[in-house]
Amino acid sequence: MADKPVQGKGDEAIDATQWHEVKKGETLSKIAKQYYGDPSLYTTIFEANRDQLKDPNLIKIGQKLRIP
Amino acid sequence: MNRTTNRMEENMTTKKIFSLAVALLFALSLGACSQAKGPAEAAIKTAEDALNAGKADALKYIPDQVKAAEDALKAAKDAFAKGDYTAATTAATGVSTKVKDFVVATAAKKAELTKAWGEQSQMLPNMIAAIKSRVDVLSKSKKLPANLDKEKFESAKNGLAEIDKAWGEASTAFKEGGLADALAKAKSVKEKAVEIMTTLGMQVPEAAKG
Repeated sequence: MADKPVQGKGDEAIDATQWHEVKKGETLSKIAKQYYGDPSLYTTIFEANRDQLKDPNLIKIGQKLRIP
Repeated sequence: MNRTTNRMEENMTTKKIFSLAVALLFALSLGACSQAKGPAEAAIKTAEDALNAGKADALKYIPDQVKAAEDALKAAKDAFAKGDYTAATTAATGVSTKVKDFVVATAAKKAELTKAWGEQSQMLPNMIAAIKSRVDVLSKSKKLPANLDKEKFESAKNGLAEIDKAWGEASTAFKEGGLADALAKAKSVKEKAVEIMTTLGMQVPEAAKG
């Protein structure tokens, strides 16, 4: 099963935004497979994180990504 | 002879005085009664007006306290009908006190529920939006993630439609002043939303837990 998403910023108690903290060896495709079952949906995660991602192939360990 | 006549006259005078005294006492008591009747009537009217002014709102939040005041008013009216104006005044004064108490209690309860509604109305739309977003993405997926089969996903989709509708009803109830009803609906929306999020493998907001 998918890793437990990490809580995001802001008013955490009522925030329902889903977050994922990038771990070593992960790619957007792997994360997409984990949450959606389909690696090709990595673009959805990329688009939701355009404020911090310039390239879908460049994600950093510890980065917190929104998972729509 | 003269002595007998004098005694008879004395008796007559005594009887007259006694009769006058009885009549005077009766008149005095009537006066006292009519003096107590007015204040009792006024006290009942004041209590009834206060009760009617505050009860509509209070009935939504503290119906038991409203009923206690209504019962006290009925007791005041019953005492008045029996001519016990002192008891009627006392009972009516008690009604006014009860009304003052439930007005204060209503305001406190309303403030408490409004605060609770404020929290729910911030959190629940967030949860519903997050679930919608996840359902939309999963609907495009060629294969569902681990621990989520087609049946569970369909159930989550149906649940989403239900809570979306129920949240609309809760919001309408709030706008129409049905705060307690709105919160009851919000509570069931929250419980269902938590269930769906769990099914979809999503993180549940801290405030929605428990």
